[in-house]
Amino acid sequence: MANDTLLAPTARPALAPRRRRRTTSVDRAPSWLTWAFVAALTVAFLVPVLWAVLSAFKPAGQIVSQPLSFDLSQATTENFAKMFRDVPIWTGFGNTAIVLVVKGGLTMFFAPLAGYAFAKYEFPGKNFLFGAVLATLMLPIVVLIIPLLLEMKILGWVNTYWGLILPGAIDAFAIFWMRQTIAAVPDELLDAARIDGCGEFGIFWRIVVPVIRPGLAGLAVLTTMNIYNDFVWPVIVTSSERMQTLQVVLSSLAANITGQTITADFATVWGELLAASAVAMVPLLIAFLVLQKHFVNGILAGSVKG
Amino acid sequence: MSLTQAVTRRGGSGTPRLRSLRRPQPRRIAPYVFVAPFLLLFVAFGVYPMLFALRLSFTNWHGGADAQWIGLDNYVYLLQNPLFWQSLGNSAVLWLLVVPAQLALGLVTAVALDNAKMRGRGFFRVALLIPYVTPVVAMAQVWIIAFDRDYGVVNAALGVLGLPDIGWLTTTTWAKPTIALLFFWKTTGFVIIIMLSGLQSIPHELYEAAALDGAGRTRQLVQMTVPLMARTVMFIVVVQTLGIFQMFAEPFVVTEGGPYSSTTTAGLYLYKHIQVSDLGTGAANSFLLVVILVAMSVATVRLVRPRD
Repeated sequence: MANDTLLAPTARPALAPRRRRRTTSVDRAPSWLTWAFVAALTVAFLVPVLWAVLSAFKPAGQIVSQPLSFDLSQATTENFAKMFRDVPIWTGFGNTAIVLVVKGGLTMFFAPLAGYAFAKYEFPGKNFLFGAVLATLMLPIVVLIIPLLLEMKILGWVNTYWGLILPGAIDAFAIFWMRQTIAAVPDELLDAARIDGCGEFGIFWRIVVPVIRPGLAGLAVLTTMNIYNDFVWPVIVTSSERMQTLQVVLSSLAANITGQTITADFATVWGELLAASAVAMVPLLIAFLVLQKHFVNGILAGSVKG
Repeated sequence: MSLTQAVTRRGGSGTPRLRSLRRPQPRRIAPYVFVAPFLLLFVAFGVYPMLFALRLSFTNWHGGADAQWIGLDNYVYLLQNPLFWQSLGNSAVLWLLVVPAQLALGLVTAVALDNAKMRGRGFFRVALLIPYVTPVVAMAQVWIIAFDRDYGVVNAALGVLGLPDIGWLTTTTWAKPTIALLFFWKTTGFVIIIMLSGLQSIPHELYEAAALDGAGRTRQLVQMTVPLMARTVMFIVVVQTLGIFQMFAEPFVVTEGGPYSSTTTAGLYLYKHIQVSDLGTGAANSFLLVVILVAMSVATVRLVRPRD
């Protein structure tokens, strides 16, 4: 009985369905109970997303009256049509796209560059400067929110792209990660390029960047996910609807339900909310499913943080 | 060809070392240039606001021109304010609701997924991560709808089972578990993936040796895997503690901190000072929170490595 199952050793003989292949279990295949447990957890994790997306296609009245049933023959896109009419979601997408491109671009270019400096150069003050990077990593965002908001007011950057983009634009974690990645690039490669007359930036651009491309892909997806989902800072620095990112647009929609400002009827608002949520989820979910390997790499690299 | 060029340009003096002596400037200056953009932003949007906030925390500034130095009054006020302690207490309860369950579930699932014979492990790994990449605001809205007392799908499902309706978001008893569930749902996939990578760094030979010594799978898990995962667990606890005490979007969108401040987390309480322009108190609150968070992180690390 050395291969007892993890969860309930005694339950196995009684409950094991006959159709299951009875392996010799020398290699310790997981028991069906373990499998069922993981499967159940997975289903439980997927249900909220599936329920939300499917419900968005239901006639608004049915979302309220029959939340549990789905009738494919009655599937409709009217919630989406109304939502696109009532909600400035395209403005949100537009602002998020601009922030994504500029802020993400800044991180994608300058973080590897700084990481390269920390990995491959010896210079006075290096340890002090790298300490600054680490300090930024460990600093909870909460300390900065109030003074940053005041700074934005003084600069006149509230409700501007400057305010949305520049604070935190060159992510400290990205620098840290890129330093680890670039440290693994062999020095001989860089020396060879230097002998060939390559300038310092040329070495970075033509040698380092191509070599660390897989790491860059991971960084790109992680950065994209973080910026796309970012909420705390955007909601604080934008008050005008024109400047709000997608997540902020979504959040003020929700406030219309929980607050007192319900103008349309309940069911209509819910329908629009679900439609908006579904639309907001889909781009990232597709990106995740297509690039999942890089996502996992990115998230795992993020765990070096500690 | 290019090598020859480089050599001749150097005046035929041959060795690479000489070259760097002759043209030391670019190589010496380059790292500063490369780090400068980060440094600029760090000073402008990190160091400066930090110092500003520190000074602010000793004043009664409300955003006008009448700031007065009031010493430690803001800190004293907060430490005597029941709402401040309640916000910490709320976060602590959320922590208890989320982290222990997450560690247990995460470990069991990660061990299963670590097994090469696990069928569909690739699919599970991806599917379990989906909540983690879902925008939290979008899901917070789904929570509002799904957990609505009168029309929500959760109560509808309970009704089918013959159970009474529950005021998930409207009662102080249930609001915290409902918010905790959202955070749990969102971040458990992350915990699993981190645990999985921790497991994969344990040398396989250890297990073979243990199996040879006659240790069963349960014993291997308890006596080998768990101790070897101490660092991974520590990392997860630190990350989740920071996340839970700074939690903002979930209660902000779903409950606005209510009912009766029962879901006002430490992070959301901070925001309440901004809402009423009580900036001095807000800054003081930030620093108190940072001290608490750093202390908890250090304590977690110490707990795992007592000999350090």
